[in-house]
Order: sequence, then structure tokens, then C-alpha cells
Amino acid sequence: MNLFENIRLALEGLRANKMRALLTMLGIIIGIASVMAISTLGSAMTGSVTKTMDKIGGKNIMVSLSPKNYDTQSTLQEEDLITQEELDAFRNTYADQIKAISFSTGMGSGQLNSGFIHKDVSITGASPDYGLVNNVNLVQGRFISDRDMDGTRNVIIIDTTLRNNLVGVDGDVIGKEIQVDTKSTNETYTVIGVYEKMVIDNPLFYMGDDTRIECFIPITTAKSLNPDTTNQNGYENFTIMATTNTDSAAFAQTTKEYFIKGLGSLSDFTIQAESLEAIASEATGMLATLSLGISVIAGISLLVGGIGVMNIMLVSVTERTKEIGIRKALGARNSAIRSQFIIEAIIICLIGGIIGVGLGSALGIMGSTLMKFPTSPPFLPMIIALCFSMAIGVFFGFYPANKAAKLDPIDALRYE
Amino acid sequence: MRNKIIEMRGIVKSYYLGTPNELEILHGIDLDVYEGEFLSIVGASGSGKSTLMNILGALDRPTKGHYYLDHLPMENVRDDGLSQIRNKKIGFVFQTFNLIPRSTALKNVALPMLYGGIPRSERSRRAAELLQLVEMSGRSHHRPNELSGGQKQRVAIARAMANDPAIILADEPTGALDTHTGRLVMDIFHRLHQEQGKTIILITHNVELAEETERTIRLRDGSIVDNRMNGHYQLEGCYESV
Repeated sequence: MNLFENIRLALEGLRANKMRALLTMLGIIIGIASVMAISTLGSAMTGSVTKTMDKIGGKNIMVSLSPKNYDTQSTLQEEDLITQEELDAFRNTYADQIKAISFSTGMGSGQLNSGFIHKDVSITGASPDYGLVNNVNLVQGRFISDRDMDGTRNVIIIDTTLRNNLVGVDGDVIGKEIQVDTKSTNETYTVIGVYEKMVIDNPLFYMGDDTRIECFIPITTAKSLNPDTTNQNGYENFTIMATTNTDSAAFAQTTKEYFIKGLGSLSDFTIQAESLEAIASEATGMLATLSLGISVIAGISLLVGGIGVMNIMLVSVTERTKEIGIRKALGARNSAIRSQFIIEAIIICLIGGIIGVGLGSALGIMGSTLMKFPTSPPFLPMIIALCFSMAIGVFFGFYPANKAAKLDPIDALRYE
Repeated sequence: MRNKIIEMRGIVKSYYLGTPNELEILHGIDLDVYEGEFLSIVGASGSGKSTLMNILGALDRPTKGHYYLDHLPMENVRDDGLSQIRNKKIGFVFQTFNLIPRSTALKNVALPMLYGGIPRSERSRRAAELLQLVEMSGRSHHRPNELSGGQKQRVAIARAMANDPAIILADEPTGALDTHTGRLVMDIFHRLHQEQGKTIILITHNVELAEETERTIRLRDGSIVDNRMNGHYQLEGCYESV
């Protein structure tokens, strides 16, 4: 007696008791559906973290000098700073892994004045590669050039809201002169570009509404305006953009080791190098563990469902005692009876599993759409869920099936 | 010499309801059945009829004694072996028909062949053929609850024939039927016996029906008390014993 005969027999048995089969499946359906829904949501969240990280700059490594010991007051010394020469040497050594290096320095907030318009802004001194590294989306004009840098020009890149305020949506703001007052300076800048502020629509990355407008000026200009002169000839921090096929986490480590060597052991400072990718993978790893944990809890309902299957199979064996007797009298071996009932249990669980996967995927898709990162259900958990539901069928079907197989044919035939 | 299909020697069946309460149901039965015979076993209830039938049908093992079915010794046969013997050598016909309620007549007839490992198409073909033999072709796709008692029993007889068994073991096959339908069922047995030369053992308490068969064994309190040829078969029987 082969598998197909058994499956056919089992389906016949289930067809005779549709309602009961469906109710029995319900436990499995709910269990599998919740596991599927959670793993779909989990993978959606993981996917969204990765996507947002890419948007922010997934291949970026942020390098900075930081005190070895935060307890003691340590001030940066001129010799601690990373010089342009050191950077150039580094860049040459790892040319194939570095796409760009950008520098920036905050100038703090100030007020922008242009005619009757007064706006609070924050000023960042940036290098030409800053735009590339930080995904600055330029919609008009250009970003800072090397010539702006060399000439410490008073040029500025503003965002679209500010442009709209100054000249309206269709207005031409390029070349317009605006005045920015900060605590220590009041300078006039020429607008050379307009960028659109990056919108991060991921609720997981919500950090409050930042209404301040960020404007970029050349870093050389920023430094020349800064009364603090300690960091004039070197860099305290910078951002490396690794090439796409570089393992940025490993490269962060390489970078760190490279610059620590140059720092000298006497310095109070050390180098920090963190890759966004590593931070992202840590976050997604945590999410994965979390969704696995919840899935396991949801899996407990599968256990309950399995016990339901066992219960109904025991009832079914008792009900069909006479049938078992007839089958045995006609020459069914114990093994044939056993496999008939086990396969019936497996089929109940498998159909329940399939319905559960469908339902859970639908719920997961709905949920992830509501949470604004629509995703398709992950393939692997689907297969695992189906295999698991079959395993439940085998596990909880075995005892009733064995009971059926061991019935004495004479007693079973006599059973009414 | 006719082929001996069944040879029983000193068959004892006891049940142990906890020692020393041993209950002996059969006290050393000797029985020979020849190929092509139509035999009846009669006896009142409690005579050991059912126990003997269970042993004859390989549903149960004797406590003592030897039983050869189609020359195969039945001692020391394991459960699976007994299943196989029931499947290939014995066709059961029960008083209460014992059809599988969820299956159609055709599938019921095909069932022993399923357990005999016969391919699906062959099963359907032979099942249809057997239903034709018992004049039930028109109802092959009906379930047992859509059939009358006589029709059910005809399906059951077709099922008993499925694997072309060495013997057909009919336990009160007309017991649940009215006289007219019972007559039709008996006619089928006679037809199988005459046309196909089937060996049939009829277990009944109806003496009239037993008279129709070639030979009647009478059981009383677990022993054979009578073993004789019936009516018009007597002559032939005497002839043989010479």
C-alpha cells in the first residue's frame, strides 16, 4: 500500500467529517498564522532598517578622536589631530576600498536675514565630498567645490523650504546674497545650491521633527570664521564612504588600527571608527532575535493545536473501531492501519498549516503596509512552518494511530 | 484424492480469565475440508461456532492443535502473516455485512485488493467484474447506506471474492435478511460453488439452510457431535467414503 493510497484514504476520511476537520485544524491555523505574521513583520522591519540605513549612508564609517578616559578632562592637542598628509597617505593605501572621505564641522545655529525674512538656521562647514557621502539631494545649483574650499569663499547651500520662503517655489535663488548671523560672526553668503531635506519615513527611526534648517558652507570658510584655532590644521573627525563591495565593518576596524598607530601612545585620545552597516546589522540582529522569540511564544499555540489533533484522532479511532476491524479482517496489516491514521493526522495539520501560512502572510503584509514598510512574506519561515505542522501531525498522530493498529481484529469487529 | 484445503487436528481454544479459571471453548476439534466443498457448521449459541470461525478465518490462533490452511501451517505465524493469509486465502461474509460506510460499493469490493498490493486500475476492473457477478453493476457507485440489506450482502460477497480466496467463510450471511432476500443470497453461494468451484464454509444456526449444503458439521459445547452428508449429496458422499 503506497503513500498515494493512504493520502486518498485520509482525504476520504476528512471529507466525511468536514466541520470537525476544520475545527481541529483551527488550532494549527491560528498557531501557524501567528508565527507567519510575526516573522513577516519581523522581516519587514529588518528590511526597513537596512533600507533606511542605505538611505542615510550604509557604507559610511564615522571616524573621530575621542578621549581614552572620559573621567579626566582632556583637551585635544594640535598633534592629536589627523593631518591632511596622513589622510592622503591612508587614502592611497586603501584606494580600492575608499570611495570618498568627507569632513564637516558644526558652526552652531544662527539667524538668516534677507529683507524682511528672518529664519533660524544651523550652519555646517562641509567638504566637497560631504554631498556624496551624506546623500545630499541637490535640486538646484551645485555643491561646494574645491575652488570654494581653496578660496574660503562665502558661498552657501540652502534647503528647499528656505528657497520657497525667499523666492517662492519657482523662483531663482542661485546667486542671491543672504546674511547669516551667528554668535560670533555676521557674514554675507552667496547661494550656490538648493537641496531637498532627506525625509526618513521610517517610524523606527523617528527622532522628532527637526524644524531647523541646515545650511552648508565650505569647511575652510567655517574654520576661518571660527575663533578657536586648535583644529585649524587637522581633523578631529571625518566620514569615510567605503566602496560597495567593501565589508565596511571590517574596514572600520582597519581604519581604527591605522590611525591609532599614527596617534602615538602618549596621547589622551584614541580613535573611534564605527560603520553604519555594523550598527544596522546589530539592530536587525536584535529585531530578528525579538521576532524569533515572539514566534516561539506563538508556537506554543501550535502545541495546543497539536493536542487538539491528537484528541480528535483518538475520538476518530474509537468511532471507527469497527471499520478498523473490517479492514484488518480483509487483510490490512497493522502498519497499513497505522500509516492510514498518521497520514490523516499529517494531512489535517498540513492543510491547517497551508491555510495558516496564507492567513499569516496576509496579516503580515497588511500589518507591514500599515507600518509603512510593505514586504512580501519571507520564504524560509514559510517552509519551516509547513514542515513543522507536518511534524506536529506525525508527533500527535502517532499515539492514536498506534492504538488503532494494535486493536484486536475480533474485538474491533464486534464493536458497536 | 481431493485437495485438502483445511486440516484441523486437535484444535483447543481456551481463555484465561485469570488462573485457575481457565475456560475451554473448543475441546480438540478435528476437521477436514476439501477443495470445492460447500460445508455448513451449525450449532446453538455458545457452542463455539464463532470461536471456530475466528480460528478458521485466521483472526485468532488456537491454544493447542494444528491447523493447515491450503497446506500452510498456521502455528507461529505472526500478526502480519495472519493479515496476509486473511487477505489472500480467506473471503469473509458477515451477518451485518461490515461494509465501509464511507466508501462506494466499488471501493468496498476493491479494498482487499488494495491491501493485497494490486494496482489501482486492476482493482477497479476486477471490482467491477465481481459486482457484475453478483448483479450489482448498476449500484457500484452507491454507498452502503443507499443499498438494501440484500444488496449490501451481495456487495460483501463480491468483496469476499476479490483476491480469489481459497475459502469463503460466511458467518450467518442471511441472518439479517428476510427469507426472500436470504434465498437470493444463498443462491449466489450455490452459484459460486457450482460455477466457480469455490470452497464455501457457511456458519449458521438455521438447520434448513445447512441442509442445502453438501455436508453439515454440528457443534455442541465445543465439540463436533455430528458430521454428515446432506440429502441428495449423501449418495455422492457415501461413494467417496468407500
